Amino acid sequence: MIQLIIGQLLNGAIVGSLYGIVALGITLTFGITGIVNFALGAFMMLGAYFTWYGYELIGLPYPIAVIVAVLLVATLGLVADLGLFRFTRNNLVNGLLVSIGLISIIEASVLLTWTSTPKDLSYVLPGSLRVGGILLPKIKLAVFAVLLLVIASTYLALTRTWIGRAAFAYAQNPEAAALMGVKTNRLQTIVTVYSTALAGLGGALYASLYSLEPTIGAYYVLKAVESAILAGIGNTIGALVGGIIIGISEGIGSVFLPTAFRDAYGMLFLVLILLFKPSGLLGSK
Amino acid sequence: MMRFVPLVALACALAAPLFIRSDSTFAIVTFGLLLASLAVSFNLIFGFTGQLSFFHAASFGVAAYITAILVSDYRWNFWLAIGPALATVAMLALVVGAICFRFKLREFYFAVVTMAFSEMIRLVVVNWNSVTNGTLGMTVTAQPTLWSPSGPVALSGARVWYYVALAVLVVTYVVCQRVLASWIGRCFAAIRLNEQLGETLGVNVFLYKLLSFVIGSVLAGLVGCFYGFYTGFIEPQYLSITQSLDIISMVLLGGVSSLFGPVIGGLVLTALPHVIDLTAELRIILYGAILIFVILVMPRGIFGLFERPHHAV
Amino acid sequence: MIIRHLTRALCAASLSVAGGMSLHAQEMVKFGELEAQTGAINTYGWMSSQGTRLAVEEINKAGGFEVAGKKYKFDFTQVDTRGEPREATVQFRKMMEDKVPFVFGPFLSNIFNAIRPIAEQNDGKFLLMGGATSEHDYLGKAGSSYLIRTWNWDAGPEGFGTLMVQYIKKLGAKKVAMLFQNDAFGKVAVDIYKKIFADAGIELSVDMFEPGTKDFTSSLAKIAATKPDFLFPGYTDAILYDIVRQSLEGGYGAKFFIVRGSIGPALKNKDQIEDYIAYVPKYFEEAEKTEPAVKKFIEAYKAFYKRDFPYDQAPLCSSSCYDHVYMLVEAMKKAGTVTEVAKIREALSGMRYSGLWNIKYDSTGEEVISFNIAHVKKGGSVEVQSVDPTAK
Repeated sequence: MIQLIIGQLLNGAIVGSLYGIVALGITLTFGITGIVNFALGAFMMLGAYFTWYGYELIGLPYPIAVIVAVLLVATLGLVADLGLFRFTRNNLVNGLLVSIGLISIIEASVLLTWTSTPKDLSYVLPGSLRVGGILLPKIKLAVFAVLLLVIASTYLALTRTWIGRAAFAYAQNPEAAALMGVKTNRLQTIVTVYSTALAGLGGALYASLYSLEPTIGAYYVLKAVESAILAGIGNTIGALVGGIIIGISEGIGSVFLPTAFRDAYGMLFLVLILLFKPSGLLGSK
Repeated sequence: MMRFVPLVALACALAAPLFIRSDSTFAIVTFGLLLASLAVSFNLIFGFTGQLSFFHAASFGVAAYITAILVSDYRWNFWLAIGPALATVAMLALVVGAICFRFKLREFYFAVVTMAFSEMIRLVVVNWNSVTNGTLGMTVTAQPTLWSPSGPVALSGARVWYYVALAVLVVTYVVCQRVLASWIGRCFAAIRLNEQLGETLGVNVFLYKLLSFVIGSVLAGLVGCFYGFYTGFIEPQYLSITQSLDIISMVLLGGVSSLFGPVIGGLVLTALPHVIDLTAELRIILYGAILIFVILVMPRGIFGLFERPHHAV
Repeated sequence: MIIRHLTRALCAASLSVAGGMSLHAQEMVKFGELEAQTGAINTYGWMSSQGTRLAVEEINKAGGFEVAGKKYKFDFTQVDTRGEPREATVQFRKMMEDKVPFVFGPFLSNIFNAIRPIAEQNDGKFLLMGGATSEHDYLGKAGSSYLIRTWNWDAGPEGFGTLMVQYIKKLGAKKVAMLFQNDAFGKVAVDIYKKIFADAGIELSVDMFEPGTKDFTSSLAKIAATKPDFLFPGYTDAILYDIVRQSLEGGYGAKFFIVRGSIGPALKNKDQIEDYIAYVPKYFEEAEKTEPAVKKFIEAYKAFYKRDFPYDQAPLCSSSCYDHVYMLVEAMKKAGTVTEVAKIREALSGMRYSGLWNIKYDSTGEEVISFNIAHVKKGGSVEVQSVDPTAK
């Protein structure tokens, strides 16, 4: 029993870190541009399909395929920002609607190009490690490590570099930041594109774990929004923590309770946190 | 000028069946009218009080289920069944609204928490097999009847349902209009424009937010009661996030700053997929493009194009 | 819309000129298909739509078909329900209004439930040929003479489900764990298989998950603790790939039992699985080498759609698809009418068709079809058992 629980805690953390990377994008975009970009789910899905295409059809080594996919997604993110999201800054509802329109376009394009037949990558890193009676798939551990690394570096970049500090300052007080010489437009575009790249990376890594369908984005983006809010929106490390908490509560919930209510376990937790600590688990009061 | 638009539209709507020949056109328009009612009721909460609720699908779906269950399983009269259905929706809305507003959840947080409640209710509906028949959905074969001197007349046929849907829209519209024209509406506007200021001026923000949320949700429930009987089939998808998003799109497309805008939005968005003659994927791409175009190029919706800007409180 | 009508009119005009003003003016037979081509569960509808279109184009290109001395072509419309009942009811109403006498689909149970009331109102005017499992309950009932179910039934003495359960019983299965999507078909499947397993004296446990779930590790761990002999996972390939992989990587079980899905997941994990028993309407990889009809179909598909042949999805062409179009044409010829649906239904019931599959219908209008049960073993060898209940 203990083994079962420890195994699910670990797995929940790994699954949750994938929510976390998209959540980080959600949090950053929201902090700087004031919108919740649901299209990050669609960008994640694109990242997964691009990786599949590069790795499976062109035959690139997996890490290269991932990098290429992330760059491609980031480019599309730039196009979307300049063409669409630039006009929805600080308008939550319009941003939401534009991202819904964009999701339809991206999903249908993928469907048109690659049909609905599920894609499944040849295993990048097969096999599992046995740690004290618990089998952990190697690929999941590798993905977890990369995600932790990326989220930690993002945190460092935000606190240690000029652009990061500018972003941070802007999120705290836009007017003061502008007065201090932060170029608002450029900062917003950089952050939006970076968030898209994060989602693309999430998708690229996702592709090595699960099968691909054009509809996967919606599921992950909802979990990501939950995760972002859970820990307190605007909090970099919090996005990861939130994702992991959601992942674990789903995992442990499904072990002891019916799997059918799996999605509710995380949500229930979220509602309770929001009610009793509206700024989120890690947010300051 | 704009004041007469709804009346002209109503006159046209009353006369329309003279010109509609096809059953499927009736179906599209009837769905359009019902969804338009849903959009109008949603706009009371969203456009006029400034609260982005994701609870609308749940109100709509719960009422549809309760009426259908009371009529099919317990042999209630349809019109009597509307009572408990709306009472339940009112209670749910009261509880959810009270929690959200008591804890002062705003904007995005309010949206997410109402979405979470809505999803949890959907999961209960999906898994409460013995009552709701779970994911298989319920077929509703009973038909509501109307009293007439020569005995009860069943509501059936495309034309009759068209008028029923129109009546639902008119009721929803008039209720919203009455509420907005009264002092309640002014309190809603105060909350929308500046919550803090409203509070200092003595508006009980909690109470009026709750009132808006409950009225809007109950009206959504009313639509749900009829919708289920019109389609003859109810399934948990009625309570899905997609349903809520559809409603929001309708409101924004039609125009958020008026009562009549959502009516246009509801009708247009329902008809759109059936009017565009394209392959499945291209149709969805076009749909997305239209949505983006409307938001970016005409942010005040279709109705906003014809309306002079006004911001009467 | 207008453009399409115009081109259609022009085509018709040019055809009649090219045909040298033949005495038999070309007449059209309306034919519709109602399937989910996009949306979350579209693999079934997608394959059916592809196969049906291919058959229609072939027939029309060859100049149509002749019934009672007259030449006809198909006027074919495909609509996409996206798996949404509301869309489907409007689209279906439109078909009824356009007096479409033959409708293919739907494969999804919730769509059939939604359109059934409208279909019953039009009983006698058309034939609905779909694979939805929920259709089974209405076959042969009053008011349902429109209904023909184009997939074989899991249960019953010749049902593939029954045969497969007997098969794993012989392999020593005493306990099976079902992990299924919590949706319309998932629920029907649970009802069907609870009974089949109970009759076979095998213990069945059921756990259901929300469609869209990707990580099943925790559910699998929970199930593994009860030590079932076989795992019986959901019904779309995407889910099968995920469940099979996660079950193997986590060491939760290596024996699988599949009633709706391909053997792709087994072949991908061929060295880790022990047994993978799947209902495969046809094992195309093998059949391509031995059956000329299958080879011809695959080549025609590649030429028409200019893409690779989807071996994984092709078995789904067993429901309201390529064969069924040709079978319908033969039935019309036999009945000597393109309008009297009751006669055509009778002709369909009385015939046995050999195409990609051997197909006939039982007295209620449910399909009886030849099929394969594939047993993939460790290492990837596939043992295919062919069953042909139509031969009787």
